[in-house]
Amino acid sequence: QLVAGHWSTRWRNTYKGVTCKFSAASSFSHIFFLALARMSESELSVIKPESLKTYIWLQCFDGSIQQVEEEVAMFCPMICREIVKNGTGSSKNHAIALPERVNPSSLSLILDYCRFHQVPGRSNKERKSFDEKFVRIDTEKLCELTSAADSLQLKPLVDLTSRALARIIEGKTPEEIRDIFHLPDDLTEEEKLEPLKNINDDPRIRLLNRLYAKKRKELQERQKLKDIQVQQEQKDERSLDELLCFINGDGGSGGGKAGKNKKKNKRRKDPKNLPKADPEHVNKEEGACAVPCNAGAVNNISRAPCPSSDVQDDNEYPFEDGDLDDGLDPAMQEELDREVEDFARRLNSVWPERMHLGQERRIESQLIGGNGSLQRFSGFNHR
Amino acid sequence: MGRGGARDGAAAAPPWHSLPDEVLEHAFSFLPAAADRGAAAAVCHGWLGAERRSRRRLAVANCYAAAPRDAVDRFPSVRAAEVKGKPHFADFGLVPPAWGAEAAPWVAAAADGWPLLEELSFKRMVVTDECLEMIASSFRNFQVLRLVSCEGFSTAGLAAITEGCRNLRELDLQENYIEDCSSHWLSYFPESFTSLETLNFSCLEGEVNFAVLERLVSRCRNLKTLKLNNAIPLDKVASLLRKAPQLVELGTGKFSAEYHSDLFAKLEAAFAGCKSLRRLSGAWDAVPDYLPAFYCVCEGLTSLNLSYATVRGPELIKFISRCKNLQQLWVMDLIEDHGLAVVAGSCSKLQELRVFPSDPFGAGQVLLTERGLVDVSASCPMLESVLYFCGQMTNEALITIAKNRPNFTCFRLCILEPRTPDYVTRESLDAGFSAIVESCKGLRRLSVSGLLTDLVFKSIGANGNCLEMLSIAFAGNSDLGLHYILSGCKTLKKLEIRDCPFGNKPLLANAAKLETMRSLWMSSCSLTLGACRQLAEKMPRLTVEIMNDPGRTCPVESLPDDSPVETLYVYRTIAGPRSDTPDYVQIV
Repeated sequence: QLVAGHWSTRWRNTYKGVTCKFSAASSFSHIFFLALARMSESELSVIKPESLKTYIWLQCFDGSIQQVEEEVAMFCPMICREIVKNGTGSSKNHAIALPERVNPSSLSLILDYCRFHQVPGRSNKERKSFDEKFVRIDTEKLCELTSAADSLQLKPLVDLTSRALARIIEGKTPEEIRDIFHLPDDLTEEEKLEPLKNINDDPRIRLLNRLYAKKRKELQERQKLKDIQVQQEQKDERSLDELLCFINGDGGSGGGKAGKNKKKNKRRKDPKNLPKADPEHVNKEEGACAVPCNAGAVNNISRAPCPSSDVQDDNEYPFEDGDLDDGLDPAMQEELDREVEDFARRLNSVWPERMHLGQERRIESQLIGGNGSLQRFSGFNHR
Repeated sequence: MGRGGARDGAAAAPPWHSLPDEVLEHAFSFLPAAADRGAAAAVCHGWLGAERRSRRRLAVANCYAAAPRDAVDRFPSVRAAEVKGKPHFADFGLVPPAWGAEAAPWVAAAADGWPLLEELSFKRMVVTDECLEMIASSFRNFQVLRLVSCEGFSTAGLAAITEGCRNLRELDLQENYIEDCSSHWLSYFPESFTSLETLNFSCLEGEVNFAVLERLVSRCRNLKTLKLNNAIPLDKVASLLRKAPQLVELGTGKFSAEYHSDLFAKLEAAFAGCKSLRRLSGAWDAVPDYLPAFYCVCEGLTSLNLSYATVRGPELIKFISRCKNLQQLWVMDLIEDHGLAVVAGSCSKLQELRVFPSDPFGAGQVLLTERGLVDVSASCPMLESVLYFCGQMTNEALITIAKNRPNFTCFRLCILEPRTPDYVTRESLDAGFSAIVESCKGLRRLSVSGLLTDLVFKSIGANGNCLEMLSIAFAGNSDLGLHYILSGCKTLKKLEIRDCPFGNKPLLANAAKLETMRSLWMSSCSLTLGACRQLAEKMPRLTVEIMNDPGRTCPVESLPDDSPVETLYVYRTIAGPRSDTPDYVQIV
């Protein structure tokens, strides 16, 4: 491994393919140290007593400087390049300037990561275990870490942290995500509605409904307060009421209770209620294909592979923003409930008088289609 | 009425929180479901951009829900798209021809905006030869074409695909109606072409050049799925298998050859070489004597589709009983109760069972009753999806099934004769189906049949908390039934109803619900035009389509409010009313 003279090569780190490329015309000492980086820790300790250990100096944007063992620093491709190409980092005065997105605490974490993984002898299980613990940090730190790893081009760490971020996002509503990541609610009304934009220029009923629902929620929270602000909002509410009356038509009730389709995401949050992995389910359900109208065509089972779509069709374009609850005016809801009960009562009161058969005959006569034939449930096509 | 978020003290987010786009995109790439991506896109402006620019897979479950151009503009990096067209009841002949669902606008928009598109899937759509030609010439890295229950194209279109798509990996034609132009589409694969992994032409009626097929199969070493059509005789199947012993999925096409011992030996030897075979299908008017040729692969099979196989009797049962690792079984009711009892005893890993009627209008000579389903539900702990056609059912059986298998996610029971009551008690089957929805908390798809009153819908509405698709026919007593469904079933997406006494009231009372659903189909119910008009007026983001007799000539505007509506199809859309309706469809 110790080769003098001019040569160029590409080394491949055994762990996750981190590549460190460097060209000829490196000084012997660099080659020597690189070769040492490939040796095991035990070998190093034998031939490299503490006093000969080389350190690299790294400087963050805020000016703070950290010192780290060279083999650890070399694990990071960007730093590796700096050392080899520009010869920087070998002393405090020539510390390697790190990108802006690498703050000191992220740097520490990254170096911990490098220190662990650059040791070649570890098992996959050990590495995995380390990784799992490594990303158990608060979201803010995780974001910083991801950003830093990305600017240092440390791909394995970028993957690890990105997956961790994805796990945080998974199954949550936009509001929840905003809370966790401290993100601004800055979507314009156009953008919010984008999947729902109505090119016919009708009043934006959905947005208003949504705002109405939000308003109602805010009102409930501030029920104790009897200040002017509430009064003002109530005024707004009244105009929304009017609008809803218009939408809901002649005094009839508007949407049903289920109009409040409160985030399917909420269901997903609770692992107890989780159906098993969606994609598998997709595959099975997609199997329902029918013989087309011309009988005699030979068909085989329809294969599954839906690109994570249909039933995962939990939401599908263009209606993926599960936030489709149209808040229903409680007064109208009550009215609807009453109507339903009334209806049910009337139904039940005449129930004993009706024979199943008699009713069937009545229904049947209604169902005979215009062409005089009674349609059958032709199940055999129903693959 | 400001935007609430703006008041939440969102000063410019600290720099450490603003992840760069490539980082966001990378994180999003690990999100498992499109819904998660949708949620991420709704978080803030930055995330919206990062998400939609990096979206790779797009599923459009209703081709009329959005305009193709809008979809392409919004998601410029899509590599795989799936679009579905006609409503499900089109499979039952309830949608007349020329209804719409043309794939052409989607192909055109994709050709324009997604030059790197690799996968395209269409279901229940009209795909023309021009579409196929455009696909072949527009996407230089096109790899996967999947057409399911489509029509409008011929083998000439297929020739364009096989000739033009140099990187094709999958050509999957499932249950399409394909016109045979005697074009040797298979021959258009260049001799240098070897990338095929899936070839399914089982729905094709015509002949294919066998020599060409054989050469193709020989040189495509990655071929995993091969599903042949009727035209390939049994002995040819054997020789193909010898060329492709690496197959994972095989569809044999028809085999009704007379028994010849040497052919049997050939088949047996060929199958013995297929160590990786896991999925088997075919239209077997099979001579039972050939079944033992398959014995060597039985142990490895996870999926068996005999839904077109008229083979019956002890040989069939013996064959299935050897498939100990079966997860998916599609079979005809010729298997009968005692056959299912054997399945129950042998196939403990069964997850999905479909039993189809061999003679739906017949006199019921087949001995398939509720017994078979009860047995399977009792002995197959992983069973979660059922489609079962039978002639009779009892509440007791359903209650037992519900107790045995609370893990059902899909339960579709089709009692052949409409409004059949419990044959023992002569009562309605309300109790049975109620037990199903109460027990199976994860139920996502349900089809009900038999004699049912409004009470079952009360139960479904109250308990169907995961229910996404519901199919109802010849059931219910009054508006209340529909009202229970629409006001309950929080996650309902597709509702299809035929021949039920449901009228206008529940529809109007639950109009807002319809915007949270993908679509509603109601045919032969008690709807009138006035209600449809009201619905359309209230809900501008829904398209309200009505279909009447094709013979009717007067425009819908002139009809009075109390005119009956034969078929109503309502779906949410952001694209406004479609412009390609045939004469018999009116958009209200």
